[in-house]
Amino acid sequence: MRGDSGLRISPVGLRGIVGRGLTATHFLDFAAAFGTFIERGRPVVVGRDPRSSGRMAREGVVSALMACGHEVIDLGVVSTPVVQHALQRLDAAGGIAISASHNAAEWNALRFLGANGTYLSTAESNELLDIYHLRKFRFVEWDSIGTLREDATAIERYIDDLEQVFDFAALRGMRVVVDCCNGTSAPTLRRIVDRFGLDLVLINERVEGDAFAHEPTTSARMVELQLGPLIQPLQARAGFLFDIDSDRVAMADDLGRGVSEEMMLPLLADHLMTHTPGRIAITNLSSSALLEEVAAKHGGRVVRVPVGRQAAMDALAAYRPEQIAVAGEGTGAVMMPQFRFIYDGIASMLAVMTMMRERGQTVREILASYPRFEILKGEIPLESPRVPALLMDLQDDYPDARIDRSDGLRVSWPDRWFHVRVSQTEPILRVICEQRGEAPSALFESLMDKVRSYS
Amino acid sequence: MPREHLLKIGVSGVRGVVGEFLTPSLTLSFAQAFGTYVGGGRVVVGRDTRTSGPMLQHAVHCGLLAAGCDVVDVGVLPTPTMQIYVEHIRARGGIGLTASHNPPEYNALKLFNAEGQFFNHYERNELLDLYHQRDFAQAQNAAIGHVRRDDGTAKSIHIGRVLAKVDADRIKRRKFKVALDAVNGAGSVMTPEFLTDSLGCRLDAISIDPTKVFPRIAEPRPDTLGDLTALVQKSGADVGFAQDPDADRLAIADETGRVVDNDDVLALAVLRALAVVPGDVVVNLTTSSAIDDIAKTFHRRVYRTPVGEANVVDTMRAVRAAIGGEGSAGGVIFPAVQLCRDSYIAMAFLLDLMAETGQTVSQLVASLPAYTRNSGKVPFTHGRLGGLMQALEEGFPEAEADRSDGLKLIWPDRWLHVRASNTEPLLRLAVEARDGERASALYDTAWKLLTSL
Repeated sequence: MRGDSGLRISPVGLRGIVGRGLTATHFLDFAAAFGTFIERGRPVVVGRDPRSSGRMAREGVVSALMACGHEVIDLGVVSTPVVQHALQRLDAAGGIAISASHNAAEWNALRFLGANGTYLSTAESNELLDIYHLRKFRFVEWDSIGTLREDATAIERYIDDLEQVFDFAALRGMRVVVDCCNGTSAPTLRRIVDRFGLDLVLINERVEGDAFAHEPTTSARMVELQLGPLIQPLQARAGFLFDIDSDRVAMADDLGRGVSEEMMLPLLADHLMTHTPGRIAITNLSSSALLEEVAAKHGGRVVRVPVGRQAAMDALAAYRPEQIAVAGEGTGAVMMPQFRFIYDGIASMLAVMTMMRERGQTVREILASYPRFEILKGEIPLESPRVPALLMDLQDDYPDARIDRSDGLRVSWPDRWFHVRVSQTEPILRVICEQRGEAPSALFESLMDKVRSYS
Repeated sequence: MPREHLLKIGVSGVRGVVGEFLTPSLTLSFAQAFGTYVGGGRVVVGRDTRTSGPMLQHAVHCGLLAAGCDVVDVGVLPTPTMQIYVEHIRARGGIGLTASHNPPEYNALKLFNAEGQFFNHYERNELLDLYHQRDFAQAQNAAIGHVRRDDGTAKSIHIGRVLAKVDADRIKRRKFKVALDAVNGAGSVMTPEFLTDSLGCRLDAISIDPTKVFPRIAEPRPDTLGDLTALVQKSGADVGFAQDPDADRLAIADETGRVVDNDDVLALAVLRALAVVPGDVVVNLTTSSAIDDIAKTFHRRVYRTPVGEANVVDTMRAVRAAIGGEGSAGGVIFPAVQLCRDSYIAMAFLLDLMAETGQTVSQLVASLPAYTRNSGKVPFTHGRLGGLMQALEEGFPEAEADRSDGLKLIWPDRWLHVRASNTEPLLRLAVEARDGERASALYDTAWKLLTSL
């Protein structure tokens, strides 16, 4: 069973609590596996979030990549989306973002990026993992060792890219409050304020490495707690809260109330599909069915895949970019085709602001125009060996419904659905249940009872 | 090339061929063991000019930060300069990335304690055990330190200490013409300014570009210093200096361009040092008896140790020696500057002797006690060493035998030393005598004995 060190080595990469399971050797060896995996001849880009352990991890990553004969370009402390954008500009073969994102300060992780700036596919990730486990790294001889150079312009160039997509001038005068949680969103947003005159009120703006002002969780509860009291006194139109590497964002409305993270994807789908009707929205089996209604309104449709970034990446690769309007999760993480299909909290925030301006409405008013869905979520500790029997049992209970077994069990009817699956990170079973209109309390309770009977 | 060449992890640290053998992973682990051993705090990290240096330095930084240390990055710097700096800033220790005189495909970690000296024999064993046990300190997020650069101060501290032990004004007045070959090593960043600004020499230098590869075999020996000889002859220099890649060793060419025997370089330094500071002399078993003759004129004792800088340093520390070194290796160790091999004090001592006496280098060498030395290498098979040594000792029953490092046989006017190389399956045979013919005869007899078995 997974211990309390949180160490996890998987196709998604490497993560854990530094000094308690996750060691310097893990960072260096995993970077050496990546250095062995990617082609030589083009540079490899490295960036990190401000965690103090990132200083240590960065040294190991740089050393391993140089030892594999790669030219390394270090962007310094930047967000993961900034690293992803830099990859194409610098014609890089790949990149490594050193960031534990929305985890607590004690955590860190390596995220591996392909040449186009997106995450690796399942096949690529598995190959990388095999190289790591085999530990036969392709270290070059003394006269072919790579070099290191630093690039301090990455944030500015990233903002240039944003400017291609968003009309900053039109967003001037729309006041929003932003909690940067001492992370990498701060320098980028400060620069956007200086460059375009946006009215962003930033809090927790100082970039910190040892500890953060609060847990960097991008949830409705956290954003309401942090920004709720500020929004009305400051007469702001909305509030946004970023995690440490600003790939995720949470949102509060003009009354200071946290907006469910489930709403970010349908909201942005509505916005993007207004401009590009008839396209596909890709999401996982656990996110709100509101997305289907929004897509239908614009003549589009929804493709649902197993939970996890990997499945989303594989689904994206199965379509042409111009077929896709948006991809994302119920966690609030959203990818947009204009932005190379990467999770980017700042781009999501700018898209929401653009949507508010175009419609002349607040997020609260837009959400009020959508049909009401109620979602219930629960989790129960469960021994892995009992899972298959439970899922078979549950499936037999609902012979009238549509069944999807691609990730645990998803059972759906026209007006409601539930999804039962094993967490990828903890030994627990997650139960999610949603219904149009009233909360599906009876269904949810019967599901939880059934799961409990197996635990 | 025999396999044992390619990677060696032992009490002197780690050394090996970069790439397949000396990997960044191994380097990281050793640095983390070191950081654990010194118990956190500041650690100085520097390197010579090898292409693998920056890559391995990042691995060292990673291991030290992971162990909860702060790193002071001094970049490319001579090894003695780094050692002095460790002590000066009261760091917990230091790591120098240099394979000294080894070829460019090699690199190594030299480890220094809080005094900027090699760890003693017992500490080195403890550190090695810690490396193998892998029970390293693991700092968590808020305990991870910083990497700070310091490019400026170390060089001036070292140069200041050297100048305090010579008459710099006397040297400056002579405006010596000096030829220099720094092998594009760490000396490139310091030796030119040392010779011109501090000692007023007129400099004619080659191979002082630290961004380029070594243009010659890295070890400064008579057969590798053809360019220096040519430079001395072309520029009409009073003296030629050649350093190894980390500038701890020095070779000297006289005013005719002839490369001076390393034993004579050490003898001249001992001559000067004993005139400046009190104390005895420590040299290895293979160093010339000329040292004994010089020490006698100052009423000083000579201690002999097994071959290896660490052995010489251990004894020097124990007896508070005035000076020491290894004739064969071209290393001068002068504790009043720092207890380590230092090409800078060796250069300054020679120039000071020249300034004081008005003599040329060849005249100074000629004034030393005269000995004839012969040396060579004999391949041997492992497991046969004991028998060889036994046969040698029995072949010369009248000689006094010293078994502390291989076998040294000593007569009043000559000696013979045979020891196994630490790095290759070779026996090193060295012979010295006052009389040239007796030296040759002894060498031939020993050679026949060793090769006939």
